[in-house]
Amino acid sequence: MNAAREQILARVRAALRVPAPRPAAPTTAPVFPPVTDLEKRFREEFTALRGEIVETLDGYPDVTGCDCLVAQTGSIIVSTRSAGGRVASVLPEVHAVRARRDQIVADLPAALALLRRRYDGHWPSALSVITGPSRTADIEKILVMGAHGPKRLLLQFVA
Amino acid sequence: MNAAEQFQAAATEKAGDLRHRAVIQKAIGTYDAAVAKGKTRFSDWQNARSHAAQIKWETINHLDRYLEQFERKVIENGGQVCWAETAEDARRYILALAQRRGVKRVVKSKSMTTEEIHLNEAFEHAGIEPIETDLGEYICQLRREPPYHIVTPVMHLTKADIAQTFAMPATTSAEEMTMFARAKLRQAFLTADMGVTGANFAVADTGMIAITENEGNARLSFSLPKIHVAIVGIEKLIPRLGDLALLWPLLSTSGTGQPLTAYNSLIGGPRQSGEPDGTTEFHVILLDNGRTKLLADAEQRDALHCIRCGACLNACPVYKNIGGHTYATTYQGPIGSVITPHLRDAKEWSHLPFASSLCGACTDVCPVRIDLHHHLLHNRRNAVQRGFDHPLQRLAFRLWLWAMKSPTLYRLGGKLLRFTPMTPWTKTRDFPEPPAQSFKDWWEENERRP
Amino acid sequence: MRAALFIPCFVDQLYPQVGIAMVKVLRRLNVDVHYPAAQTCCGQPAFNTGCWDEARQLATRFREIFAGAEAIVCPSGSCTAMVRQFYPELIGQSAPVYEFGEFLVKKLGVTDVGARFPAKVTYHDSCHALRELRLKNEPRQLLAKVRDLELIEMDQAETCCGFGGTFAVKFPMISYAMDEVKCTSIRQTGADYVVSADSSCLMQIAGYLGRTGQPVKTISLAEVLAST
Repeated sequence: MNAAREQILARVRAALRVPAPRPAAPTTAPVFPPVTDLEKRFREEFTALRGEIVETLDGYPDVTGCDCLVAQTGSIIVSTRSAGGRVASVLPEVHAVRARRDQIVADLPAALALLRRRYDGHWPSALSVITGPSRTADIEKILVMGAHGPKRLLLQFVA
Repeated sequence: MNAAEQFQAAATEKAGDLRHRAVIQKAIGTYDAAVAKGKTRFSDWQNARSHAAQIKWETINHLDRYLEQFERKVIENGGQVCWAETAEDARRYILALAQRRGVKRVVKSKSMTTEEIHLNEAFEHAGIEPIETDLGEYICQLRREPPYHIVTPVMHLTKADIAQTFAMPATTSAEEMTMFARAKLRQAFLTADMGVTGANFAVADTGMIAITENEGNARLSFSLPKIHVAIVGIEKLIPRLGDLALLWPLLSTSGTGQPLTAYNSLIGGPRQSGEPDGTTEFHVILLDNGRTKLLADAEQRDALHCIRCGACLNACPVYKNIGGHTYATTYQGPIGSVITPHLRDAKEWSHLPFASSLCGACTDVCPVRIDLHHHLLHNRRNAVQRGFDHPLQRLAFRLWLWAMKSPTLYRLGGKLLRFTPMTPWTKTRDFPEPPAQSFKDWWEENERRP
Repeated sequence: MRAALFIPCFVDQLYPQVGIAMVKVLRRLNVDVHYPAAQTCCGQPAFNTGCWDEARQLATRFREIFAGAEAIVCPSGSCTAMVRQFYPELIGQSAPVYEFGEFLVKKLGVTDVGARFPAKVTYHDSCHALRELRLKNEPRQLLAKVRDLELIEMDQAETCCGFGGTFAVKFPMISYAMDEVKCTSIRQTGADYVVSADSSCLMQIAGYLGRTGQPVKTISLAEVLAST
């Protein structure tokens, strides 16, 4: 397939000899409003997405860790390292997560920066930003929880 | 019938289908409300669009560099990269791989690129069973129908239609049907030998692909089978991982109105030592299939910025009245009418850019600021320049020009207009009674000063 | 102020009263109007149909006819957009054309033109006025000052009526469906009139309303502003 590689790259380079005008520059204003009270915001977003914050995970044998929590979006970020592989956080009916409050970061830029600091040069093979339990609205836009992934997403804060 | 005639016939039929219109209006009404709410989460949606346009411009206009960087990183991470010039090259690579590994069953997560290369048919032809696992795509597959919409594959179907597809009573709830599909497809995930996905983004600086979804079927597709193949259009590149902090919410907001979809995953390679599960092979197919032709058109190059959110389809009054299947293309709606003449045969698909009132609603909603409706104009000009328009139309415009260049002929023409039947427009609508006097006549009579 | 009148061929031939109403309002505001008599069409039908060579000749002709005009006023958002937004792409230069309502609000700084129009109206945003010229508030500011006029916004104010020039002839059934959607939204307001800055849209809308026997009437923004 090396010939195809060279062909495609040659076509790309030939095409780019004619420049296309750059679109008007954005302003430097932040794209999202700043997130202030991290834990409060995380709880609001997470529960609005039908995530459940619980006091105990007793009775749930398979509990995963996570890389961080994102206040802006109520997301839990897992990787093959923090969650013990790929299937543990997607195959069960209930995905139970244990996290510390100090794992909450403000927003997606902070979360991606944290991941890069932690993993640059030796990334886990897969990561997922989990924002609520699995869902679908493919049928008449009616929201149904638990399409293929976990039907419930539980989170316990630990010290 | 050629593609243009088929389009005309299908469009005429669908435009008069009031049931279809009601179903689509309801679905898009729900979407519009969600998107309006979703946009309020941004400080300034317009500025967010400008940021996204910059990111994609930067990538597309240095595409060679980012492709090479991406390839290098994927290989470093233990993945394999195939460059495919055509749909056939991509199919051949996947089929050869599947045959080498004795693959019998493939689970697929939603991917328009696999639709583009007609992968399912190729698998079936080779005796391999492809199973669509996105609920909407699964329904399409059962119906042997292409997706109606690039994001919402069965937007045109009611709950009762889908129940019928599943051979269930018409009163079955959406939840019951979803659980039925979940149980059925869970077996497919557990027994498949290969998972095929697309990619929403390909991150150059980490060599990862990013997949956006809600159901978890993409995650299962790259977690359970031993082989993961991702088919990625070369325009999917983005420079940096950090760009996703904007592009993920932007895609979700424009796609469904969600702040972020349930799952946004990054896949950087096969299972590593120390990881308990995962694939043994990760293949990325970088697909050209006409994209470099569009890239070479600097005027319309920004059409490659597209992140396939579907917003332009939902905003398009033509789409809403004729529906996705009428286009008979992989990519429907305004973006499809812009890119299809470039990606496929320019003459065969030259009717699509004309099937628009040029209202510009698409351009206003595009999250990466593609100048969609002006590109429809550019495609019309290209079609005429290449002689794809009807010779009678050309003759009519020549005569018209001749008249318009002379005020005398123009006035005479205006008088004749009063006797010209305006069919086919007047078949369904009243044409105004021409007035006794034109403005020109009025001015001459009342206002002309010596 | 002196202003040249650009009366699009469509208005000239089918809706001369729109041009006449515009002249009336401008005179009321002491604008010195003149009408270059050689004008015909701006070239938009050819341009939109892809016949740019033909359109280019008319664009050049337009530039010559209106050469030296410091302001050109036009009772159509569509034809204004053609000259201002598309001529640069076509012939590398534009002309200082203003849509009539835009001219009043932005150029003259006037919103109250002393009009009276006792009726319930709804406003149709023509695509070119709205999306090429970005005129959303201007017509509404003008209508707000018309005595005894009640403006009722429709749900689909910004949805295309389906005219689109040659599109309506090439794809009559799509155009008709769009018209039907538009007119359903108009009817739901209970308005007596639908008002717009573009007579071509109003022709499309009236074509449906007339054929289906609905009582809603169409009227141009210029005629509303001219009535007293």
